[in-house]
Amino acid sequence: MQFDRRGFLKITGLTLLGLSAKPGWEVFSKIDQPEPSPTAETLAKIRWAMVVDLKKCWSAKEGCRDCIDACHRIHNVPNMGTLKDEIKWIWTEPYEKVFPEHELEYSEEDYRHRSVMLLCNQCDDPPCIKYCPTRATWRREDGIVMMDFHRCIGCRYCMAGCPYGSRSFNWRDPRFFIKNINLEYPTRVRGVVEKCNFCVERLAQNKIPACVEACKEKALVFGDLKDPKSEIRETLKFKTIYQRQPELGTKPKVYYIL
Amino acid sequence: MIDHRQKIIGEDTALFEHIWKTGKGFYITVSILGALVLLGLYAYITQYRTGLTVTGLSRQIFWGVYITNFVFFIGISHAGTFISAVLRILKAEWRRPISRASELTTVFILMFGVGSVLIDLGRPDRMLYAIRYAHFRSPLLWDVCSIATYLTVSSISLYLALIPDIAMLRDLGGKREWFYRILSLGWRGTEGQHRRLEKAIGFVSVLVIPVMITVHTVVSFVFAMTIQPLWHSAIFGPYFVVGAIFSGVASVIVVMAVLRKGYHLENYIKPVHFNNIGIFLMAMTLLWFYFTLAEYITIVYGNEPVHMAIFWSKISGKFAPLFWLHFVLCFVIPLPILAIRKYRTIRGIVIASISIILGMWLERFVIIVPTLTKQRLPVEGAYYIPTWVEWSILAGCISLFMLLYVLFTKVFPIVPVWEVREGRKKAVTMVSERIKSYLPEQETLDK
Amino acid sequence: MENLSQAETEKIMYDGKKIILGLIIFLGLITYPIWHNTVSGKTSYVPKPESPTDKDKKECVEPKAFIRVNHKTLLEDWKFSVVRNGMRTYQASNKKTYTISLNRTCMNCHRDKVKFCDQCHNYMGVTNKCWDCHIYPKQLVKE
Repeated sequence: MQFDRRGFLKITGLTLLGLSAKPGWEVFSKIDQPEPSPTAETLAKIRWAMVVDLKKCWSAKEGCRDCIDACHRIHNVPNMGTLKDEIKWIWTEPYEKVFPEHELEYSEEDYRHRSVMLLCNQCDDPPCIKYCPTRATWRREDGIVMMDFHRCIGCRYCMAGCPYGSRSFNWRDPRFFIKNINLEYPTRVRGVVEKCNFCVERLAQNKIPACVEACKEKALVFGDLKDPKSEIRETLKFKTIYQRQPELGTKPKVYYIL
Repeated sequence: MIDHRQKIIGEDTALFEHIWKTGKGFYITVSILGALVLLGLYAYITQYRTGLTVTGLSRQIFWGVYITNFVFFIGISHAGTFISAVLRILKAEWRRPISRASELTTVFILMFGVGSVLIDLGRPDRMLYAIRYAHFRSPLLWDVCSIATYLTVSSISLYLALIPDIAMLRDLGGKREWFYRILSLGWRGTEGQHRRLEKAIGFVSVLVIPVMITVHTVVSFVFAMTIQPLWHSAIFGPYFVVGAIFSGVASVIVVMAVLRKGYHLENYIKPVHFNNIGIFLMAMTLLWFYFTLAEYITIVYGNEPVHMAIFWSKISGKFAPLFWLHFVLCFVIPLPILAIRKYRTIRGIVIASISIILGMWLERFVIIVPTLTKQRLPVEGAYYIPTWVEWSILAGCISLFMLLYVLFTKVFPIVPVWEVREGRKKAVTMVSERIKSYLPEQETLDK
Repeated sequence: MENLSQAETEKIMYDGKKIILGLIIFLGLITYPIWHNTVSGKTSYVPKPESPTDKDKKECVEPKAFIRVNHKTLLEDWKFSVVRNGMRTYQASNKKTYTISLNRTCMNCHRDKVKFCDQCHNYMGVTNKCWDCHIYPKQLVKE
């Protein structure tokens, strides 16, 4: 290689290529395989799930919002005041919208227009986590689909991935819209996506999720599916279990029993 | 001194005049564009200060005008590659005057495609996290990679083809001589340099075509890889590429017409160029129609309730006016103009192109938003009406693109002078030799 | 002006006095940030973050010298540990185990961000976004 400008450029190019080989390899070999968490093994022994007993839920008084209010209160979920900007971790929809596959035209008239409690299904094969460009949302080994509000860039691709509409976005600064701030839990900042997290901070203190605790009818059961003696496994025995759109292959972990 | 300048300019004064002569039209154009850019900037500052709530987006419909802009601008960027690279490989001589105008469209509009996504982010201050914490399973990351590659390769292609012209401007001397001298990289126009340049441009032209196809396929994968009804479709990859080339070529036609009129390039950009591109645009119209038909007819025959809900909202429901308007603009208006020779004049082709550009923006909108209104759990009362912020930013992006384009033409010639001259000198002999080589060998007459 | 040779003409700086005077004024103005604090006595200002006064809150998670330099890295590691790894306990160098929590550990002792964190941060011109989300114990009392 003669040493003129072209030669110099060729050598520089090759050098840069060589220098970037090692760091490049390190970056690409870590694709989608973050460092395994030190708690991964212990967490993998658990599989959190929730059962919603619809009959018990419907036996409550008209317009009961105990679970929603408890969740939104302790997690500082703001009330934005408009449908456009709303943020909700738990909400309700009419039965025929939640389970459109249940033929209601000639049957089950009692269930039509009844409110069904909805939240993030904490799927075992979540479609939402695939799309996050920064891995700000991921599935923990114990089944909870986690959100890292520090890393979220607000692209809302996870919202496009969720077939259940479980995620909300902070269109503006939420601080002003929280009635009574709970000091124990941070708020979010504008521009990040949020959703139900199965009260992961309460689980760390061996408490059950706030919605489960707040339900006066005891319609919500929460527990570890991998523990054969847990209350949730008892509840699920011999029952017909409904899930939201199981044919999508997301393996949701919120079960409904009627 | 005057002699030597005249020798370089030769008979092609029109190609250099727009660099030196600044008329009233230029100042008016720049003022209007500048005002729109300032409006767009003000709108973005409003959004940056308050949050995305100033747009019409909502929990149900969280992607709207900005993502439409993203897909639309990236789509337009396919024109340059197509006209410059593909025609160069096909050895189509008529590409000579228009190759730089189209490459420039590509390079500049790509920046606004990327910009549109960044404008849409909830936390733009964290935009570099996509690189620092890159998660390669996300189609958005594939986008980042492919668009970065495309921008790099297109810029290189634009620059390489610019070098001989920069050298010409350097030789003309004047105040900006130092600027052109640095950029010309010591080009002397020797035989060896020309050979190397041709090789490099040829290599880049071949490289940029798969990159171009990848880019818009990957943009379509942002939608096609989700399980949302009417997005999760295998046809999206080729559909979007075809749509991109379609809208891109239409944009380049408009750009060509404006440059031709504004800079008096009638001698160089001739009706035959428009005719040829017009015929290609007609082919793209039909191809676009084929893909659209294939997409919607499979949905209808599948008859899945979730899909049909959105389908009907497009055909006869909330989005029917926009859907049918886009169909008219993309197909019904352009096809007769482009197909019938009587109407395929420059004016006709430009009208068809403007119609196509508007129609294709609407097409992206009509692909993105109706799926979000229904998803799988329709929320009552969800609607999407873009606010002034979104429209201003769209206007600002387009105006800034045009402004940068116009400023480019003030520094560099927009018609590649060296390519036109090469065509003048060598093309006729080259092409006639090439054609002779196709014909059967002359048999000797004595039997 | 006498007739000067070309060499001598080139050695004269025309309007020399004005230029040098202008340069001195310009340098003085542009170095204002450097000399202002010294002149106005502000360099003697030392930020005084308020330490907690309770008897049982005298020992921090790590020694003062370490914390002063490394608290940013420590908090980032804590953030990663809790949010991304699910590990909520920290083994300190003093062999004690602490719960990792900005509010329940750090702010439990240093209750007022304005009187503690901001004292040094404002002096150094450091901004952080922690408080966009996290709430310190004394915050709502003021609001």
